[in-house]
Amino acid sequence: MQEYLIKDIKVGLKHSFEVNITELQMQYFLEISGDINPMHLDSSYAKSKGMKDKIVFGMLISSFYSTLVGVYIPGKYALLHSIDISFVKPVFIGDKLVVEGVVSSVHELFHQIEVNATIRNYKNEKISRAKIKIGVLND
Amino acid sequence: MTKELVFGKVQEIFRDIFDDDKLVIQDSTNSSDIDDWDSLNHINLVVAIENELGIKFDLGELSSLKDVASMIELILIKLNN
Repeated sequence: MQEYLIKDIKVGLKHSFEVNITELQMQYFLEISGDINPMHLDSSYAKSKGMKDKIVFGMLISSFYSTLVGVYIPGKYALLHSIDISFVKPVFIGDKLVVEGVVSSVHELFHQIEVNATIRNYKNEKISRAKIKIGVLND
Repeated sequence: MTKELVFGKVQEIFRDIFDDDKLVIQDSTNSSDIDDWDSLNHINLVVAIENELGIKFDLGELSSLKDVASMIELILIKLNN
């Protein structure tokens, strides 16, 4: 886990990590959220609506922004303020994703940073983007 | 920059931050008048004002930004110095 303090963080600081999307993650998310929409559970239904297969929960995908913030940028001293998320393309079970964040602004007075984040699939297609505001606590 | 011009810019920033195109601020407008004017949106307001007007507030000045009039007054002081 990274342990950046506000004084250590500069515009352009970047981190990334990879995740694999599994059926088990889908089952856990279903149990936690109670989202029983068939687009996420029923392949036949999803295909009837033009999808390749049932699609992964968008909020499951966005949970990796939590990891980006809490583990990488800034890591230990993070306090999440806000996230503005867009979902650009669907994600399917078995997809390998790359989550990346780049610091776009640092406000030392408020101990707040802004991170532009993206998630891409194995084809390097952007499947989600987010603007994240994060407070940075003192050690 | 005149007070009227600064007021107009601050008005637009408030509308953007609070996502309300019809929001009309007055000199006396403060956090009690706008439901979403919480601590996080106060940061968003101050940062947006700094970025829009090219100024920087000091830590000691933040506590004085209690209403629109005090914001405008401090902005004008910074712009004219």
